[in-house]
Formats: sequence, C-alpha cells, structure tokens
Amino acid sequence: MMDTYANPWAYRAQWAYLLIIVGALMAPVFYTIYISFNEHGFGAQIYDFTWDWYVVLFRNQQIIDSLSWTAYLGAATILTAVPMGLIAAKYYKRTRHKVVFVTLMLSPLFVPADILGSALLVYFKNLNRAFEWLGDSLGVTWFYGWFELGFFTALVGLILWTVPYAFVVILITMSRYRVQQTEAARSCGATAWQAFWQIEFPQIRVGVFSASAFVFILSFNEYTRTSLLKGGFDTFTTVLISHMFNTGMSGDSYAMGGLVSVISMAVIGAVLVYTLAKAERLEREARAKAEPVAA
Amino acid sequence: MTAETSPAIEPPAGRGRDIAAKPRWRRFLTGEDGIQKVVFYIPLVFMTLFFALPVALTLVWSVFERTRFWMEPGFTLFAYETFFTSARAENFLHAMMHSAGAVVISFVLGFPIAVFVRRRVPEIAQHRVILLFILPFMISELIRIFALRPVLSRHGLLNSFLMDIGVISEPISAILFTPLGVVIGEVLSFLPFMVFSGFLAMEAVQKYVFEVCDDLGAGTVSTFKDIIVPLAAPGIFAGSVFIFVNGLGVGLIPNILGGPGATNAGSIVFESIVALDFPLAMAVSAIMIVTLMALLYIGHRLFDLTRILEPIS
Repeated sequence: MMDTYANPWAYRAQWAYLLIIVGALMAPVFYTIYISFNEHGFGAQIYDFTWDWYVVLFRNQQIIDSLSWTAYLGAATILTAVPMGLIAAKYYKRTRHKVVFVTLMLSPLFVPADILGSALLVYFKNLNRAFEWLGDSLGVTWFYGWFELGFFTALVGLILWTVPYAFVVILITMSRYRVQQTEAARSCGATAWQAFWQIEFPQIRVGVFSASAFVFILSFNEYTRTSLLKGGFDTFTTVLISHMFNTGMSGDSYAMGGLVSVISMAVIGAVLVYTLAKAERLEREARAKAEPVAA
Repeated sequence: MTAETSPAIEPPAGRGRDIAAKPRWRRFLTGEDGIQKVVFYIPLVFMTLFFALPVALTLVWSVFERTRFWMEPGFTLFAYETFFTSARAENFLHAMMHSAGAVVISFVLGFPIAVFVRRRVPEIAQHRVILLFILPFMISELIRIFALRPVLSRHGLLNSFLMDIGVISEPISAILFTPLGVVIGEVLSFLPFMVFSGFLAMEAVQKYVFEVCDDLGAGTVSTFKDIIVPLAAPGIFAGSVFIFVNGLGVGLIPNILGGPGATNAGSIVFESIVALDFPLAMAVSAIMIVTLMALLYIGHRLFDLTRILEPIS
C-alpha cells in the first residue's frame, strides 16, 4: 500500500497524472483560441498574431443578432430555471417521495440532446395542433400559436437542460444549512416567507449565484435542443455550426469557437474565485467564533 | 365548556393574528396553505408536462402512420421495421460498441482520479481539486468537439507533437474521420462525468475504511477490487450509463469527427426529423428511452443509485 510520506514520488506522479488529464481536456480549446489569433489560420507554417478574425466577427450583423438572441435566452433561462431549481431543492427536502422526485429532476441529464429535442419538437407541434383545434371548436382565435416553435419553446428546452444543474448546486449549498434556524425563526413569529428570505436565503445565496452562472453558461453553449426548438431566430452556436458545415473551418470559425470558450471560462472562473473566497471568509469567521477547546 | 364561556386565546404576536384577520383571498396569497403551497409543485408539474410526458409519448408516436409532412394516429410498426431492416440498425450497433469503448476508457482514465482525490488529498481541498474538472465540462460540448478537428487532423497538434518527440516519422491520418476519432471525442466530452460521479460515490466511503485496509495489509489491487469498486459501484454505474447513453445519443460527435457515413442514434433521429419521417425519429427515440430506463432500473436494483445522493441529502 502506498504511503504518501514514505513514497512522495508516487504521490507527485498521481498529481501529475491528474493535471495531465485536465490539460488534455483543455488543450483542444486552448489550441482553438491560439489558432484564432493567427492571421494565416489553421495549418499555416508561419504564425502572425492578429485580432482581425474577431474584428470580422463583430462586423457581421448576423453574429451580433445571434449574440443578442443568445443573451435574451440566457437571461430568460436564469430567471426561470434558477427559481425552479431553488423551489425543487426546497420541495426535495420536505417530500417523502425523494427517489421519484430526484429521478424526475435529474433524468433530463441522461437523455441525449437529440432525443429530448426531437420528442419536444413533436410534442409542441401536437400541442399546437390540439390548441388550434380547440380554438376552431370554440370559434375563437385566442388559442392559435401558443406552442409555435420560437422563443418560448427554445426556453422550455433550455430550462429542461439547465434545471437539474441548478437543482443539484442549490441542494449542495442547502445541505450545509441547519433547519433548526428556520424552526427558531418560526417560533419567534416569522412567516414561512420571512424565515426563508431573511434567515435561509442569505446562507444559500452563494449556491443560487453559482447556479445562475452555470445556467447562463449552459444555455449560452447549448446547440442541439435550441436548433430543434428555436423556430425562426438564430443563436450564436447555431450560426457557428451552420457556418462550419456550409463554409468550412475558416479563421472566423476559430474566432467564434475562441469567443464562446473565453466567455465560458471567464464566467466560470469568476464564479469559482468568488465562491472559494466566500467559503474561505466564512470558514475564518466560523473559526473566530468557535469556542476554545476545553483543556 | 362552550365557546362562549372559554377565555379568548390571544394568538401570538405576528403571523397567527395577522392571518386570522386577513380576508380569504389574502390568506390564499400569503398564507402557507395557499399559493405558497402551490408554488412547491411548479417544478413537479413542469417536469411532468414538458419532460416525462413528451418522453413517454415517443412510444405512442412511434406507432403512428407517416403522412407526407407529418403523421396521423394509427397503429403500425413500420417505423421499427424500417429501422431494424436497414443499415441504421447496424450503425446503431456500431455506435453502441464505440460508446461502450468510451465508457471503459473513461473509467480507466477517470475513476482513479476520483479515488486519488478522496484518499490522498486533504479533505478541505478535495472539492477544490474536483472543481478543476468543472472548467472543461462547462465549455460548450460543441466547441470541445469542434476543437478536436485541428488537434486530430493530419497536420494537427497531436501528429506534430508525436513527430516532435520522435514517436512517429509520418503523420497518422487514420484518427480524424474514423471510429477512433469518435471514441476520442466521446471520452474527452464525457470523462469529467466519470470523475464527478465516482467522487460523489467515494464521498460516502469513510476514510477509515482505507486505513483499515492498510492496517490489515490489503494490497492495492485487492483494496481496489474488493473494497473501493463495490462501495463506489452506484457512482461508477451512473457515470457509465451517462457516458454510454450520451455517446450513443449525441449526434454532433460522429457528425463532426466521424466523417462521411458515421452515425449514431442521435444523428439518425436528427436526420429523420429533417426528412420529415417523424414516426422513425420517435421509434429511435423510444428505443433509446427504453434502453436508458432499463439500464437505470437494473442499476438501481443492483446498486441502489440513491446512495450517490447521500452526501447532499
């Protein structure tokens, strides 16, 4: 059996292996970013640094429009999926049917994007027809177009994709919260909402904040479900894929890939730094408040 | 004692008195048995309406009859017949084998990391080390797959590196646009999930278990085989199912890395939708859903998958 102190080289080798795997997972992404700054593109013998591919990108109105749609969808997904993840985590804590509920909440992670996207596409088309039929039967046009493919249907696809992550992240933060504090607040006359908002929420705020960032990144990066359910508009990833398949891997394709990666890394990096700094501060405070150990 | 004679019980200051004084509609909006109770059911209703129902209905739609642009209610197994008697079934089996290969490679590469972090890294730093794997996982799957093209191509990073260190003298061209490229894409896309689920399962294993193994003189192999794997089995299984099903179902991987003719269940479904063959798309989706459900059910019966969630319950 390996002993960390008796055999430090084996310990270091294991660390090196871990870092090599992380490096191997990240290397293609960094390589894409590296190529995106080469004036001559991929495969050239010489490397001349340039921002031009990014300039080309931001002069393209289709890309700007697609970025706007991506931002709208991201914001709408945060506003819906994060509260839903929070409510789901609260419900999970109190329900007796934990296995059924957690299976329902986490299953969308296991169903591949093409399968769930297609099932939802057919579902929405059927719902649309059913509502049109209902409208015709009642002689009103109010029911027309409720489930027409568009922003709402794309949003539903994104909520299904992101809500399991929001649920798990918030649940992990909630597992550190002691429910006795809520009970104490209720005994003092607080309503359920006051006990949640003034006592519990400040302690799980980090989880809600991290969940919001994850939800934004996931919706920003999503392609398959959105392309099946979006209807008439384009998002950044759908433009990237159509660009890649129609015009091939040009310099601006690499710049698009680089832009998506840099935004994702910046958001996730900020979240990690913030949550780790916050955890560190809470730990220091807890240590400072802790009773000294009796001699 | 009657109500008239009993002394009036003063409700405690705060919520009791407020609620009693409020009209019914305000009680519904602010009381705990009103809208607040209803709100808790929103995720349940949403997931049932927009996830469970559409997924279950794929079975029904798969037996509908195809029309020119849509489908109509009926009962026919034509879509299944089309699938099983064409090259699609063979491609599906190949995709299953590639996916199973990706599961094995991900386990061999990723699970030892979960064990190492749990056993050797100080408890306070364990989550931070695991967070290293969040970063690649959070970068778009699309970008990670797309980024493999310049890495695996004939003049790409991998060939240049191998030639620079003298392992090969000629660039290898049989990586990109081959099944090997697809398996590499699947492993690099889904490996972090094996680390996460493996670590989550290992969190339920107390550290003293390893100390007991050390004290009793168990070897590395027997500790791994007889202690670690059985205890972490739910996490290993969940990670494996995730990789297997997504490897089989994410159509982008063979589309981008597999070259002409490469396909899997996801790309078959996508192409069927584009070809307006909705019953065929639903039949392949139904096969995938049934496979997934069967695997999860078997896993749950064998390993009790709820054990993975114990640390966060």
